[in-house]
Amino acid sequence: MVSAAFTPRDRHNYAIFSRWMVGAMLVFVAATISIDAKWIPNAGGWALTILSVALMLLSIRAYIYFLRNADELLRKVHLDALALAFGFGTVAMMGYRLCERLGAPKLDINDSFLVMLLTWAAAQWFGFRRYAGDEEA
Amino acid sequence: MNRLRVLRAERRWSQAELAERLGVSRQTVNAIETGKFDPSLPLAFAIAKVFESKIEEIFTPA
Repeated sequence: MVSAAFTPRDRHNYAIFSRWMVGAMLVFVAATISIDAKWIPNAGGWALTILSVALMLLSIRAYIYFLRNADELLRKVHLDALALAFGFGTVAMMGYRLCERLGAPKLDINDSFLVMLLTWAAAQWFGFRRYAGDEEA
Repeated sequence: MNRLRVLRAERRWSQAELAERLGVSRQTVNAIETGKFDPSLPLAFAIAKVFESKIEEIFTPA
């Protein structure tokens, strides 16, 4: 279902984005653990933080390149997913602030990020499903 | 509404073959044929060129 939505060029560009993303996440996790456990001096922590942010920015650049050059249906699915993720994330963040005032447990900003990430993934899945179809020769 | 499937069948092309000629994914061809997705103007022109037709001969208003 998903593979039929990618051209070879899209697969190539998405693989580049994925590599930057995985690299950024690995450095992020390494930086978080190292800083929390005080395994590295302060300067080392700053270096890892800068490296992590730089890799994340390169991931964004790779994703935009992928998106701009993507097959137009694939781009539509991704843009719809991004819009839904941003919307749901914002609604979750703002709505829950009111819920907190009414006594719901306190959450931090990372929980809204999780809502965005999950919505992004789910919306892509539904998008691919919506446009999927068996080949008719 | 479009005649993409008919034109493709006349040439005995699979969706994958047509997708390759157009430089798009097979899912895009399928979605256009089934009316789930309207192509951009550049893609509509590319489709017309592949089938040596005019856009209005392939696509009609719904």
